[in-house]
Amino acid sequence: MSSKLLDFHKKNILTVLLSAVFIWSLFSVQWGPDLFHPGGQAALGQMMQGLLQPDWSPAILRLALSAAWTTLAYAVAGMSLAIVIALVFGVLASGVLASTRTARNVQVIGFRGALGFMRAIHELVWAWLFVAAIGLSPFAGIFAIAIPYGGILGRIFADMLQDVPEEPITALRAAGASRLQLLCYGYVPIAMADMLSYLMYRFECAIRSSAIMSFIGLGGLGFQIQLSLQDLRYDQVWTFLLFLIALVVLVDMWSQLLRKRLVA
Amino acid sequence: MQHIPSATSVRKPHRRFGIVRVSVYMAFLLIIASWIYLFIGEQANLAELFSAKNVRYAVQFLSGLAGVGVDHPAFLDIESWKRALALTYQTLQMSLMAIGFATLGMLLTVIPASRVVAGGTESALLRAWNRIVYGLVRAMYVISRSVPELIWAMMIIFFFKPGLLPGAIALALHNFGILGKLCAEVVEDLDMRPIRNLASSGASKAQILIYGIIPAVLPRFLTYILYRWEVIIRTTIVVGFVGAGGLGHEFKLSMSWFHYTDVTLYLLCYLMLVFAVDLISAGLRRWMQ
Repeated sequence: MSSKLLDFHKKNILTVLLSAVFIWSLFSVQWGPDLFHPGGQAALGQMMQGLLQPDWSPAILRLALSAAWTTLAYAVAGMSLAIVIALVFGVLASGVLASTRTARNVQVIGFRGALGFMRAIHELVWAWLFVAAIGLSPFAGIFAIAIPYGGILGRIFADMLQDVPEEPITALRAAGASRLQLLCYGYVPIAMADMLSYLMYRFECAIRSSAIMSFIGLGGLGFQIQLSLQDLRYDQVWTFLLFLIALVVLVDMWSQLLRKRLVA
Repeated sequence: MQHIPSATSVRKPHRRFGIVRVSVYMAFLLIIASWIYLFIGEQANLAELFSAKNVRYAVQFLSGLAGVGVDHPAFLDIESWKRALALTYQTLQMSLMAIGFATLGMLLTVIPASRVVAGGTESALLRAWNRIVYGLVRAMYVISRSVPELIWAMMIIFFFKPGLLPGAIALALHNFGILGKLCAEVVEDLDMRPIRNLASSGASKAQILIYGIIPAVLPRFLTYILYRWEVIIRTTIVVGFVGAGGLGHEFKLSMSWFHYTDVTLYLLCYLMLVFAVDLISAGLRRWMQ
């Protein structure tokens, strides 16, 4: 009973704490009419009008379709590399291949640290660093998606592999399976469904990331949105935005369909 | 050995493998098509990537970051550190503002967005009204979470002057949709029995909310809010690129002026901030449980 009471207090304390921190953060802004551009309201009105009447002319539609494919292609290519990174680093970071306790600890700490570093930096920052280092090449965008997504997927894969129940693994080990066999026939098949469903969720995120790669100069929906914004063609902006939304929703539907089969 | 399988035992596994198999084929097809397109349509060239010229550029850039041959690297300068830490502090404030706005928006819309309320047993007119509100809020969630923060920021900057506020609003707009979707699911998955109990013993709507719904959903809501805060802190630097303040803005300027030791300094501050927020958020979540 007393522990129940304490739980109740803890989440309330946290709520009060977070609200207080939020209110404190509001003081960082000097509130007033100075926050807005003089012509801001007109721009907002035009933007809303653009949402109601997007530009559906055939030329724009064709452009949007090809831009959507470019965005999808970068996301898929980046994700396919991220999966390779995640599988290698994730298995090593879970420590299931290590033979001794010390080797396991060294592996887990080392590879989890590496994964933490990869995902700490946002994909666009990676992209910019790559462009500065190797110039504007499609690989800058692909690597920029692959590294942070490899980091996050690898970490989640490692967690899932570590959460595999002990009993089937013990049974396999008793039957004389090697460590690699334990991985292939024990750990991976058990964690597979969860891994796939998380992968699909991340794929949806990768599409959004690939759309903003335009910022460093790669093509795709983000690039077209940026161009249309510079031309103040808000009706075209919304056409491209709606294509992006449709792409994300399609992937989301696919992943939900798959998840229902896999997890349920 | 005549064996007649029943309809369920055959068809069900068949259908189950159908979707998964089609998905796997589709995934392979997509991967192959994407790589072909990038190599041919976008002229991605792996050999050029490792050409002598590129290697020289990369070495130059990396030694620039490390401050090789620079008289006063920014990351060894007290004044630069002070400036960078002030920016870090601003960035932290921006992230808190963003998650606060997103939470406020989510709290205002989460009840109509959950099917529990939308599928009530009220009059036909009220039910139709609830359906419409449900659809509208859900559409809002989809739009707001499908558009990345950076693109929201690009659009919002037409309305606001550059500063912390537009950055926070752009971050909040994207996370509003995600938080809304996650939290509406929490409300939908609620155990309805305690709430029915309250209702049958005569509690008013406000009392049901305060004693039935809020205590049940609060821990999950707080977990999601903390988790999104971790994501927001990584993205603060990106909205800074297009004119929202904080570390991102200075990062962009230093990059454009080739002040690479400043870039290193800002990256260090950014990494410190990300790891600190990860630790705080994980600690708070563990403490709450």
